[in-house]
Amino acid sequence: MEALKNAFDFSDFPRSDLIIAILVGAAFLIFPLFPHSAFAIATMIQFFIFSLYGMGWNTIGGYGGQVDLGKAQYVGIGAYTTAVMLIRWDIPFWFSMPVGVLFSVSWSFIIGYPLFRLKGHYFAIATIATSLVLKDLFEVWDFVGAARGLEISPIKYAPPDFLRLIFREDVYYYYVIFAFFLLGILYMNWFRKSRLGFQLRAIKDNESVAQSLGINVHWAKIKTYAIATAFVSVVGSFHACYIKNIEPEDTMSLNLSILIALMAMLGGAGSLWGPIIGAGVLIPLKSYLKEWLGASAGLVGIDLIIYAAIIMVISAAEPRGIWGLVEKIRRRRSR
Amino acid sequence: MPLLDVRNLTKDFGGLRANDAISFALDKDELLGVIGPNGAGKTTLFNCIAGLHPVTAGQIIFDGEDITRLPAYEVARRGLARTFQVYVASGDLCVLENVMVGAFMRTRERAQARRRAEDILERLNLRELAGAMLSELPVAAQKRVTMATALGTSPKMLLLDEVAAGLNPGEIEEVLAIIRSVHRDMGITVMLIEHVMELVMNISDRVIVLDYGRKIADGHPRQIADDPKVIKAYLGERYVREHSGEVT
Repeated sequence: MEALKNAFDFSDFPRSDLIIAILVGAAFLIFPLFPHSAFAIATMIQFFIFSLYGMGWNTIGGYGGQVDLGKAQYVGIGAYTTAVMLIRWDIPFWFSMPVGVLFSVSWSFIIGYPLFRLKGHYFAIATIATSLVLKDLFEVWDFVGAARGLEISPIKYAPPDFLRLIFREDVYYYYVIFAFFLLGILYMNWFRKSRLGFQLRAIKDNESVAQSLGINVHWAKIKTYAIATAFVSVVGSFHACYIKNIEPEDTMSLNLSILIALMAMLGGAGSLWGPIIGAGVLIPLKSYLKEWLGASAGLVGIDLIIYAAIIMVISAAEPRGIWGLVEKIRRRRSR
Repeated sequence: MPLLDVRNLTKDFGGLRANDAISFALDKDELLGVIGPNGAGKTTLFNCIAGLHPVTAGQIIFDGEDITRLPAYEVARRGLARTFQVYVASGDLCVLENVMVGAFMRTRERAQARRRAEDILERLNLRELAGAMLSELPVAAQKRVTMATALGTSPKMLLLDEVAAGLNPGEIEEVLAIIRSVHRDMGITVMLIEHVMELVMNISDRVIVLDYGRKIADGHPRQIADDPKVIKAYLGERYVREHSGEVT
């Protein structure tokens, strides 16, 4: 009960923030009712997907300060679990998604236990390594389609199929992922005020001090890593039903891992709105850049150059991202 | 039975013996000061007791239980809290939140942790600073916040690491009053490391002196101040020889 109350309690934000949040939320809610291009709604769905990835990353990476560059492996586990179960045994999304979470979280414990003996850059590198190893394994594993990947063929089903999450129109996917997005915000709002949330922020500040305040630092990190993993895995499962065609190269790539971390950092690591703002800036940028510049102008890879530039600007100018900038300006004003 | 019983505590860092067979016991409600020149092994001693360093040899008994091999968070959960000399906070948590982290050790409930934290801030005269960021505060207030955070864990015993370092006489007076109130009113046993001699001599029931990792004296502050071994450790052998008539 207390937890539920905390999840819905946004009273520590200024009223102006809440008004903006409600207006934006309302705009999201009615967006599909207005005329829009298929491209626009696809971009919106990507925005929600990446917001959720970012929220998950933000628990361990933002609040906990542990830079995790291997989140894609859990996108893969979630996506593959759902795809394999649907294709082979016709098991619907709502059953395969929790199973995917179970697999992901189990895997996160197995690699989290040794990984969190490492600190700083070493931890970041190790997360990249585990993710890439898993991707390579999937590329040669015939059961999951090896490098060709898996394809969910919508012809077999009768859309709209709410159990299997197979739809013909994107608008259904839009509202499903929007619902997950709202749940994600509520969860994160609870998380940041929970005991674990406080403990993580203390860990980020100073691990020795955190230890001496009775915090089992290693265990707190592993737990949080599992939470981050669950977030990403759920969305991975959704991704499988939405995209319908998954391969190791796009569900488990290093690019994806970096993009997830980058969005949260750009928006503001360790803040509730940060990952959403980050996704809100980067996803449209990514989609439209590709559309306008990429293939047609022969500028493939320009998005990567832009990411690199963004990373450099954030780390040099404002490590706490866009939200950090907003807070800085606010604090200056209140003086 | 003493609350804290340290027996032959030895700590090596490679070839350096930072603590050499240190033994002492501390009764409940006692206020023990630890002094010694720079590099005498005071902070190492604290870190060993608090479980932050694995000890090389010896035994630490707290409240009847052997805590020698326990990790720091287990030691803290048993009621032994500590402050840190250099506390660098990246500034993600405000003062109230810092103290709440401590209070969360005893409860899962946010509301309860908050009440406990507010109560402690009140006791330590930090109420007006509740919303401030640690990095924005002057040193004196930062030191008080670190004490408040440690007290948030509701400890039986508190280890204070140089809480008066870098403070002016007025601020030292304030810290003195707070330590007394923690000790007397809250009934918490206190052990403190301090460079500021005046503070230690003023407040401690008993003082132990470390030099080169060894305990060289243990007794009432008055005895300690007159102990030639202590004077030698602090002022150097030559000084004692040259001023042998003057130093009493």
